[in-house]
Amino acid sequence: MIDAHKTIVVTGIGVVSPYGIGLSFLQDGMLRGQCCLERAEEIYPGFHGTVAAVGALPSLTEVHRYSRTDRLAVVAARDAVADFTGSGNILRESGIVMASTVAGLTEIDPEISRGPEAWYRHGGLMRAASYPVSRVAASVGEDLGIQGPCCGVSVACASGAMAIALAANMLLDEAAPMVLAGGSDALCPFTLSGFNSLQALDPEPCRPFDQNRNGLNLGEGAAVLVLETLSNAARRGAGILAVLRGWAMTNDASHPTAPQKDGIGLALCIQRALEMASCGIEEVGYVNAHGTGTPLNDIAETHAYENAFQGRSRPIPVSSTKSYFGHCLGAAGALEAAITISAMRTSTLYPTLRLTDPIESDQVDWLRGELRRQPLPVAMTVSAGFGGSNAALVFGSYCA
Amino acid sequence: MNTALPVLTGIGSVTPYGPLAGLIPAESMDASLQPRAITAWSTPGLRRAFLVEPFRPAGIVPGLKTRRLDRLSAWALVASSLALQDAGVDLNVMDRSRIAVFFATGFGCVELTEAFYQSAATNGWAGTDPITFPETLGNAPASHVALFHQLQGPNLTISSKSFAAESALLQAASLLRHGQADLVIVLAGDTLTQAVYEWYEVAQLLAPACFNQEPLSSAPGFVPSEGVVAMVMEAAGRQAARPYAALCAGRWATGGDARSCVHQMLGDDLPEFTICASNGAPCASSSLTCSARELVGEGAMIFPAQPVAAGMGEAGALLHLLLALSKRPGPGEALLLGTSAHGGYAALRLEIF
Repeated sequence: MIDAHKTIVVTGIGVVSPYGIGLSFLQDGMLRGQCCLERAEEIYPGFHGTVAAVGALPSLTEVHRYSRTDRLAVVAARDAVADFTGSGNILRESGIVMASTVAGLTEIDPEISRGPEAWYRHGGLMRAASYPVSRVAASVGEDLGIQGPCCGVSVACASGAMAIALAANMLLDEAAPMVLAGGSDALCPFTLSGFNSLQALDPEPCRPFDQNRNGLNLGEGAAVLVLETLSNAARRGAGILAVLRGWAMTNDASHPTAPQKDGIGLALCIQRALEMASCGIEEVGYVNAHGTGTPLNDIAETHAYENAFQGRSRPIPVSSTKSYFGHCLGAAGALEAAITISAMRTSTLYPTLRLTDPIESDQVDWLRGELRRQPLPVAMTVSAGFGGSNAALVFGSYCA
Repeated sequence: MNTALPVLTGIGSVTPYGPLAGLIPAESMDASLQPRAITAWSTPGLRRAFLVEPFRPAGIVPGLKTRRLDRLSAWALVASSLALQDAGVDLNVMDRSRIAVFFATGFGCVELTEAFYQSAATNGWAGTDPITFPETLGNAPASHVALFHQLQGPNLTISSKSFAAESALLQAASLLRHGQADLVIVLAGDTLTQAVYEWYEVAQLLAPACFNQEPLSSAPGFVPSEGVVAMVMEAAGRQAARPYAALCAGRWATGGDARSCVHQMLGDDLPEFTICASNGAPCASSSLTCSARELVGEGAMIFPAQPVAAGMGEAGALLHLLLALSKRPGPGEALLLGTSAHGGYAALRLEIF
């Protein structure tokens, strides 16, 4: 017997991705196996890399000066509530939890470091005002007239999934009737240069989980999930896209940037999320992996799956959808949550692109090549990030 | 004491009062804290702020290595260590995978973000510093705390317009309530840099006391501040714990009416003591004190917003709370009332022991 007041459901999904605005564009593109990664030489002098960029965005009436990250978030949030039905009070009293790592860094250039005051006086003042991570959530709130609790999350590449986990906690606490949760990040020289300096970028389209993988590609986008309790959704007659059955967060406490080699911290995170979901390892039909394509991440993640799903009768199906449109940093966890729900609703397991020579593991079923069609009642998505943070979300299909 | 409530059992801080375990001593509280002249960068004249005096972290926490870290991470490490020490927590007998870190900040690792821009300005984007980049990420301080203390529980860094620290307290309590952690180190703080200070100055948000030696006045504007406050929050029940306060309930929102929120939460059972947490609001907290007075009634005792904490912006509420607790108001219920010039409110009901 489920407790409708304690069951968290997803009733809306908004997406801005390199495929376009809306989950259907993302879904259709991925079903076609379309890769959005392209060579980009013009981002800054000396950059030779591959990225996935979002095309034109609709014009917005800006309450304050929006950063590109803000704009992506606002467009995704509008998309998420486009079909909202119910009292306007519910939307107004909703909460917002938006993740970002880049936020307003898109608006700031290195000249600021030569003399901040002069830079501000020559047009930089409002540009710099978009710097705090909290501005992304605040922009969504201002655009949609939402006045509930509003929070920005910055936990590197695990941010998007953690925003969803925090939003679920807020709903259990009855802090808001509904919470818009997700992540947004834009491409910008700051992050491209940073990852390039770490020699983490693959100049070619990335090959997650391949033995010859050579790094990641950056992308941009935003995803926003509308979360609420089952009782609230039923009261307002909302269609239910999925149930968020479990969530967990852990930290490796191992290294400032590198993942724990044996993936123990991530495995613990997966186990805790499954425990919360009351879900056995046999029940999980698909894992949307973090799968960045970096040598260290992918092997650690493989060990985590081997550890977390040890004893399972069949290898666990895993893919990295970053092979389609790159790593969207703070938005990645939210976009991958949207893709995981899409996989469940279309009974489709998306393969990893360009995975020709996978990491050897007899406990992982690397999805590659053709789409796999099968019913998917339970699936999960996994995120990890610099600083050792891990997050796992378990989704289930909803049967009325 | 209701054993289901999360309690605050340890405090550590690195603030303009210095690095401290526990409450701020009475003699420091009694001496009026004044802003100090900024010397870390060249200024066009006198510029003042509430600044943390440089200190050697390893002198406070033996074995602490902070050479490669920015001040925010170093202070987070010192404050968290002092808070754990104050709480009497022996990490060796605890399940560290159930200890969480929850960090609230307005600007995050702004020092190294500026340093990274500096390397881009000097060398071009193709020549930036790989050591600095990961430390620009907002979650670097919280992850250093996890790494130093070997804490494998949830590790979160949040930012919330005006109410980051209040929000962190409430969300940390949520981790305990839902069994996602047994203990949470809640931290809130920011560092003051040239770029941040000059932004305030160009935006004309600074108080006159930033530009002259006059004492703080009721003039508009605020005096920027910096520091990190850490509080250990755990479920009541650990034997050695000496709780400062319990967090009974709370709400925060970016809009709506604080009065109806507080009354919804408390009914007519109003607390005897209200702690005003004005975040980034003018030093003169008279208008805030008035609205708090309206809210809680004539008979209630009000601890006005303190300039040193207000200057810390959205991360200031833990310092407001620390200052209020340091005044030793005596046992009883209290309301931590956060308001902001941008609108919205945060209201946390506490039981002070």
